[in-house]
Amino acid sequence: MKNPYLPIPMILKKAQTETSDRLLRTLELSFKNKEDEKSFHFIPGQFCELSILGKGEAPFGIASSPIEKGSLKFTINKAGVVTTALHHIEEGSEIGIRGPLGNGYPIDLFAGKDLLVIGGGFAFTTLRSLIAYYLHPENRTKVKQITVIYGARMPGLLLYRDELLEWEKRNDIKLVTTVDWGDKDWKGRVGLVPNVLEEIAPSSENTCAVICGPPIMIKFTFPKLVALRFPNERIFTSLEKRMKCGIGKCGRCNIGHLYVCKDGPVFSYAQLEKLPKDY
Amino acid sequence: MKLKLNKKDVENFLKGLIEEYDLYAPAQLTEGVSVFKKIDRPEEVNLTQPVTQKPAKEAFFPQSEVMFRYEETGNRGQAVSTEQIRKERILLGARPCDIEAISIIGKVFEAEDYTDVYFAEKRKRTTIIGLGCNHPLSTCFCSSTGGGPFNRAGSDLFFTDLGEAYFVELLTEKGMAFRENKFFKEADPKDLDLMKEIENKASQKVDRTIPVEGIEKRLDLMVESPFWDRIHEKCIGCGVCTFLCPTCHCFDMTDEAVNQKGQRVRNWDSCLFPIYSLETSGHNPRPTGRERTRQRLMHKFNYYPKNFGRVACVGCGRCILYCPVQFDIREALVYASAKRGKGQKGKFK
Amino acid sequence: MIQQQLREKAKELLSNKTVDLIIGFGEWTLPLRTTPVFIRTPEGAESLVWNSFCENNLTAYLHKFSRLKIGLVVKGCDARSVVALNLEKRFPNHPPLLIGIPCQRLVDRKKVKKAVKGEILQAVEQGDLLLVKGEDVNVTLKREDFLYSVCQVCTHRTPHQAHILIGDPVEEVSPVEAHPDVVALEGMFPEERWNFFEKETSRCIRCYACREACPMCYCAECFVDSSRPRWIEKSFSPSDLAFYHIVRAYHQTGRCSGCGACERACPMDIRLTYLTQKLNQEVKDLYGFETGIQPEAAPPLSTFDPEDKQEFIK
Repeated sequence: MKNPYLPIPMILKKAQTETSDRLLRTLELSFKNKEDEKSFHFIPGQFCELSILGKGEAPFGIASSPIEKGSLKFTINKAGVVTTALHHIEEGSEIGIRGPLGNGYPIDLFAGKDLLVIGGGFAFTTLRSLIAYYLHPENRTKVKQITVIYGARMPGLLLYRDELLEWEKRNDIKLVTTVDWGDKDWKGRVGLVPNVLEEIAPSSENTCAVICGPPIMIKFTFPKLVALRFPNERIFTSLEKRMKCGIGKCGRCNIGHLYVCKDGPVFSYAQLEKLPKDY
Repeated sequence: MKLKLNKKDVENFLKGLIEEYDLYAPAQLTEGVSVFKKIDRPEEVNLTQPVTQKPAKEAFFPQSEVMFRYEETGNRGQAVSTEQIRKERILLGARPCDIEAISIIGKVFEAEDYTDVYFAEKRKRTTIIGLGCNHPLSTCFCSSTGGGPFNRAGSDLFFTDLGEAYFVELLTEKGMAFRENKFFKEADPKDLDLMKEIENKASQKVDRTIPVEGIEKRLDLMVESPFWDRIHEKCIGCGVCTFLCPTCHCFDMTDEAVNQKGQRVRNWDSCLFPIYSLETSGHNPRPTGRERTRQRLMHKFNYYPKNFGRVACVGCGRCILYCPVQFDIREALVYASAKRGKGQKGKFK
Repeated sequence: MIQQQLREKAKELLSNKTVDLIIGFGEWTLPLRTTPVFIRTPEGAESLVWNSFCENNLTAYLHKFSRLKIGLVVKGCDARSVVALNLEKRFPNHPPLLIGIPCQRLVDRKKVKKAVKGEILQAVEQGDLLLVKGEDVNVTLKREDFLYSVCQVCTHRTPHQAHILIGDPVEEVSPVEAHPDVVALEGMFPEERWNFFEKETSRCIRCYACREACPMCYCAECFVDSSRPRWIEKSFSPSDLAFYHIVRAYHQTGRCSGCGACERACPMDIRLTYLTQKLNQEVKDLYGFETGIQPEAAPPLSTFDPEDKQEFIK
């Protein structure tokens, strides 16, 4: 029997501080064992439990995309015991992971449709995975138009800024970044995500929307999607809840009869509508 | 084949089990307080308490369990798993409700997608000797949750206390392996009659019907019911009902390390603790007793049934007996099931 | 009759809207027990009861209902908890209205259960007698033989701090001078004492019923739940169990009213009050202080007085 609680060893290849507040750090991990690498298959939206022996485990969405072979990326928000340890860990060190866990984004359902991606703050990690996946030449034809709205409080808090610049240059993706407060170097938009959405108003016909961000952003953006006539079946979000086991045993991440770790973290609003508001 | 175990042979029978197996059975920690634990000496076994405080789930899912150990913390630690158990096990003296509960937990822990190896390994290597309940308590309602004081489901062997002897039934292949046990003697037809008489009498005693049937559908309509605003009021938010519940299976995982050596441990956890669902950001999706009490009851009578087709309650009554404020799950079910018109609030204490 | 007077008073307080909610005791499903009841309507007052089984310290609920005007049914010890909480400024907006009842000392259900064979199905009080019925038993017990240890030694049965007193003050002489477990503990050698303590705490399942039943345990984050810093591990090493119980008891020093709710809440019958009672005794001997007797007296462990005794510093 395979023990799903045992982490597999990874090596921290590269670590990079992402944001000006230094609270977000991206870790690039490579597999220590070839066999682990071979058997690790994931889709955007899935997550892993990162494990530091002596400190514990915490769940993180996979920020890299499946086409980036040989390594996995995670962006860690420094908040608790494990995340602080993950901020201090040095390149070359070993980290345990368990995964891939969870359902991931419904890429089968997205096939042949337009995609609207709305992200806020540091919840952009698995959205990055999703976008990078579709921008790869192998996958670009799987969806039609890709529209991305990504907002942060300040320019320095946007994740993956080098990559955003590259995406902006491409013509097979429409990327709009926006900040609540600009600075002297900021030449992009200043404004809140819901307003930007209203302004660029993509068609909801044959479009799937994915929205991840702080609760306050979701609260004000969701009604705009409804106003644009996105049906709940085609609006998706990735939920975060306190998790431990990641495999539907330990109990704590349930919303109704579903577990965020196992049946999620990606849910459609049509699904969430039927569940208690325990999130 | 009808067998029995004379009471005078019990000590030697237990001695034999202890030698060959790891034996788990109820033992008294102090007068009136029994738990299931690993038995070292026959005289530790105490089968007199109808409902032990801690349930038999502990033989498969201990309150605290090391998942793996490591010699070096931090960056280069190698985790060594602890799921393998040393010896075959016997669980003796578990009551039908507790045994039923093990299969309820099993549906979660032995699910097809991921198997909880710690639980599965123990379950695979354990022979269960069930014990009929001659004297069910007034708080027992196993017959309403699909069981009964002499429900043999899940037992490999089943004992009935006849006074001078235990009537012994071998029910499964694992049970049949005990056919040759030298302490099992052939039973007389009158032993069988006595067993049936005891069984009937006990079954009649669990007579109160608690409205469990259809509860899942009723609760579907009650997610936002004012019912929850009142029912949680007296709950003080301790973990008694969930820890002592034979079907509750939530756990927490933490690392414990001293001087580089350490272990990852899981401990029972409770959805009634505020910290259970508290997120690092400070957000708590179940901020008050209302949501937490709802979670406890909904999990047992709505969420679990949705996933596995039966309620996650076996009617053992522990949560009623040991609750510091007498939250009575039976009354909660009655209340949830009562037809109430407008303006008629019903009563729940 | 006290119970009738209580109901009438409760009815009146709810009718004239003096309070929004009355927290008291009601009859429920188990014998030898009552349950906390939450009454919002004058008619609801009929379900209030008063007897020797009113074992919860309802003061613990004040933290949960801080936004309402509450009428709280209190015994002597419960009222002392309220006074102690008041000193800690727990009720800045709505101090509770205390409906006090002089306590007749409570019956220890665990003691009764041990004295009766089989399951008890019914227990009725009749004056000084306790009529107990089971499936095959029917016995009459003397109430005074089955009192909680903390109640046996109590000399503050009348809740003088209450705003409304139902019934007459009672004579404050205790039938037993000292808590039997404390006496036993004091007679032990240190090693025996430790063994006793460790044997009791070894049964702990960390359900925290003792903490939750206690009105004085209201920290937003209990030290056992803190992850930064982590004071204590979550599993069951004897040192962690001991640590929890020692710290819990010490946190109560000079704050505990000796109600015994912690011990009654424990599903594993762990003796807890010998610790708190011993500490209460120490505080009384050293500082002449008893929790919740004088409404204005600051708890000795949160104040410093140059006259404080110091002979315990060695």
